[in-house]
Amino acid sequence: MKQFFIGFVIGTVVLALCVLAYLRLGLAEIRADAATPAWATQWMLSSTHASVRHTVPRDLKSPLPAGDETLIAGGKLYLNDCVGCHGAPGKPASDFGATFYPPAPQLAREGTQYSEAQIYWIAKHGIRRTGMSAQGSSYSDEHLWQLAAFISHITSLPPRVRDALQEKAGK
Amino acid sequence: MRLFLLGVITALVALPLAAFAYFRLGLADVRSDMRPPAWETRLMQSTVHASVRRGASGMQAPPPGNLDDAILEGGRLYRNGCMGCHGEPGKAGEDLDHYPPVPQLPQVGTQYSDPELYSIVKHGIRNTAMSAYGPFYSDKQMWALASFLRRIDHLPPGMWERIQTEQTPVSSAN
Repeated sequence: MKQFFIGFVIGTVVLALCVLAYLRLGLAEIRADAATPAWATQWMLSSTHASVRHTVPRDLKSPLPAGDETLIAGGKLYLNDCVGCHGAPGKPASDFGATFYPPAPQLAREGTQYSEAQIYWIAKHGIRRTGMSAQGSSYSDEHLWQLAAFISHITSLPPRVRDALQEKAGK
Repeated sequence: MRLFLLGVITALVALPLAAFAYFRLGLADVRSDMRPPAWETRLMQSTVHASVRRGASGMQAPPPGNLDDAILEGGRLYRNGCMGCHGEPGKAGEDLDHYPPVPQLPQVGTQYSDPELYSIVKHGIRNTAMSAYGPFYSDKQMWALASFLRRIDHLPPGMWERIQTEQTPVSSAN
């Protein structure tokens, strides 16, 4: 048993040293534009998703009334601040968003798997080790909830909301 | 001896599995506005430095022509494209919204060489908010940016004022 224990400790130390050497020798790919295997990206996305699900309280709910006005207010914020990386509804994907690794999700084209409360939380706190910064210091909670309402409906906006925002974008 | 080997193998299998479970169960905090332990930040920074050094080793900066012009051009590009996150010379600031935080270059300067700066601008740094600018800038522009960045915390007197006011010709993007 003692032999097993010594083996386990040595295995642990060797593994840790290998990882450390790999990183310290500069062998880790750090270029954002280098090709990445799909599984690695998938792995990172699913870990992030798991962390968000695990951390966001289940009873967290928007205090705002559901409805077109909230969506329009959120859409205006989105068009001002988020489109640069995440893409605008009805427009081609953002070239700029694609130059990050991990790439910025093209919300306007792909929608999102996150719930409204989870989107609120992500916008507020940001996502570590990505280009997504915490917006909690620049937006009020009300604005963050408006944004969350808009993003959770971004691929299925009511026509009235779409028209109102198009008018804004046209100006 | 057999038990010893079994122990080694168990460690090599169990530790990656534990790491896998840690991430899959959502136990890794992903919030940018919560800071991880300092050792993790240091390890990550040294990983980036080591990889940038290795990637740019043997690369030579082209002769700059007129260095002042290169700094001027780089400074103008910095003002347009980088200052929003990396900070304005002469103004104090701190980035608390990104993790890893964006280095405030006018305050902290940089320890990278011209070729290293050129590669960072061109390729970006993964798992940070630094995106790749290769698709948007010409090689000449990125070398000019590198000349400016390397001196950003000790610019020649009056240079930043010139960058802000003078209409120097900016080279086209190819």
